[in-house]
Amino acid sequence: MASLSAPNSLPFGLEQSRAGYRLNQLARSMTQASNRQAFLADQEGYMRRLGLDEARIKLVLDQDWFGLQAAGANQYALVKLAGTLGVSLLQEGAKIRGESLQEFLRTRLLHQSQG
Amino acid sequence: MARIIGGIGTSHAPSLARAFDTDKRNEPEWKDLFAQFDAAKQWLKQVRPDVIIAFYNDHLNQFFFDAYPTFAIGVGDPHPIADEGWGKRDFPDLPGHPALAMHMARSLVGSGFDMTICQESQIDHGILSPLPFLTDERWTVPVIPVQINVIQHPLPTARRCYLLGQAIRDAVASFDQDLRVAVMGTGGLSHQLSGRRFGFVSPDWDQVFMDRLASDAEALSHISHEEIMFNGGVESVEVMMWLAMRGALAREVRVVRKYYAAPMLTGYGLLVLEED
Repeated sequence: MASLSAPNSLPFGLEQSRAGYRLNQLARSMTQASNRQAFLADQEGYMRRLGLDEARIKLVLDQDWFGLQAAGANQYALVKLAGTLGVSLLQEGAKIRGESLQEFLRTRLLHQSQG
Repeated sequence: MARIIGGIGTSHAPSLARAFDTDKRNEPEWKDLFAQFDAAKQWLKQVRPDVIIAFYNDHLNQFFFDAYPTFAIGVGDPHPIADEGWGKRDFPDLPGHPALAMHMARSLVGSGFDMTICQESQIDHGILSPLPFLTDERWTVPVIPVQINVIQHPLPTARRCYLLGQAIRDAVASFDQDLRVAVMGTGGLSHQLSGRRFGFVSPDWDQVFMDRLASDAEALSHISHEEIMFNGGVESVEVMMWLAMRGALAREVRVVRKYYAAPMLTGYGLLVLEED
C-alpha cells in the first residue's frame, strides 16, 4: 500500500526509535521549563551537549520536520520541540506536505463540509 | 460487587484542550461540540460513577523509549498533571483509586495480561483533553489510567486490546466493594501526523468504525493495524483504546449519544454507550 509507505507515511517502529533515540531525548527534554530556556538560549550548544551528530543538529536548526521524522524523530516528541520553537502543528504539517500554511488550510475546508 | 455501568469513546486531540481552556463554547465552529460534551456530562452525572477507568495512550510524558510498556496501569493517588512541553494546565492533581487499581493489576496479571504497574502516572492530554468536558474540572470522580502503546510498533493487536477490556470487566466484577464504574477510551479518530500524508482524515471510515464499535465489536476487534492505518491514517491506531473500552462493556449496549465532526486535523468522535 503506497499510502502506508515512505514518503507518504512513516510508521514509527523499532528501527526508527533506535535511529532517532537522541533526537527523541532532545525533544522529550522540552517537558521541563529550564530545558526549554536553555535550548532557546543556545540551540546548537544544547544539542551538542546531548550528543547529537551534525546531520541531526542541522535538521533541527533548519526546522526540517519531514527530515526529522525520516531520521527517527517520533511525531509526539517532535511537537514538543516545534512547540518550544513557536511552531504550531498546522505549520509543521504544512511544511511536511510541502505547502504554505494557507494552501494547507484550504484543504481543511473540504473535510469541514463533509463532517 | 463493583459493576460497569457504561462507557464513553472520545477523541483526545490537543485542540480540544485549547478550546476548553480558551472557552470557545460560543464560537460557531465549536458550539455543537461543546453542546454534545455537555450532554455526555449530564449522562455521566445521571449514572453516578464512583470511578472511571480510562484507556488512553501517553505521548512521551510519563513514558519514554528507554523503557516503553505495552500495557500499563496507574495504581497511585493522586496522579500528577504532566508538563507536555508548554507548561502544565491549571488543574489539581487527578485523584486515583488505588484499592480497585491494585485489585485490577492482580487480576489482570493473574489472567495473562502482564501489566507495567505504576505508582506514579503523569497524566497528559490522552486523558486531560476530554476529561474536563465530561466531569467537574475540580475532579469529583477518581480515575484509573490504563495506558496502551499505540506509538511505537510493534503495537498490541486490536484483538488483544479488546480482550484487555474484557479482562478488566472480569476484574471489576470480582472487586468486593459496591462501586459503579464507567470506562472511557480516548484517541483517534482518523488522523495522520507523519509523512506527506499528514492531515489525512476520513469521515466515512470514522462513521463506520463508530457504528461497528457499538453493534459489531466482536468482529471489528479482529481488524489489523494495516487496515486501521490505511482507512484512518497512521496515527489513528489510537482507536484501539476505543476497542479496549468496548471490550469492558456487555455484548449488547444502548447507544445514548453519537457525535462526529472533522473540522481540521482529526476526526472528533464522541460515543456514549450504556448497559442495561
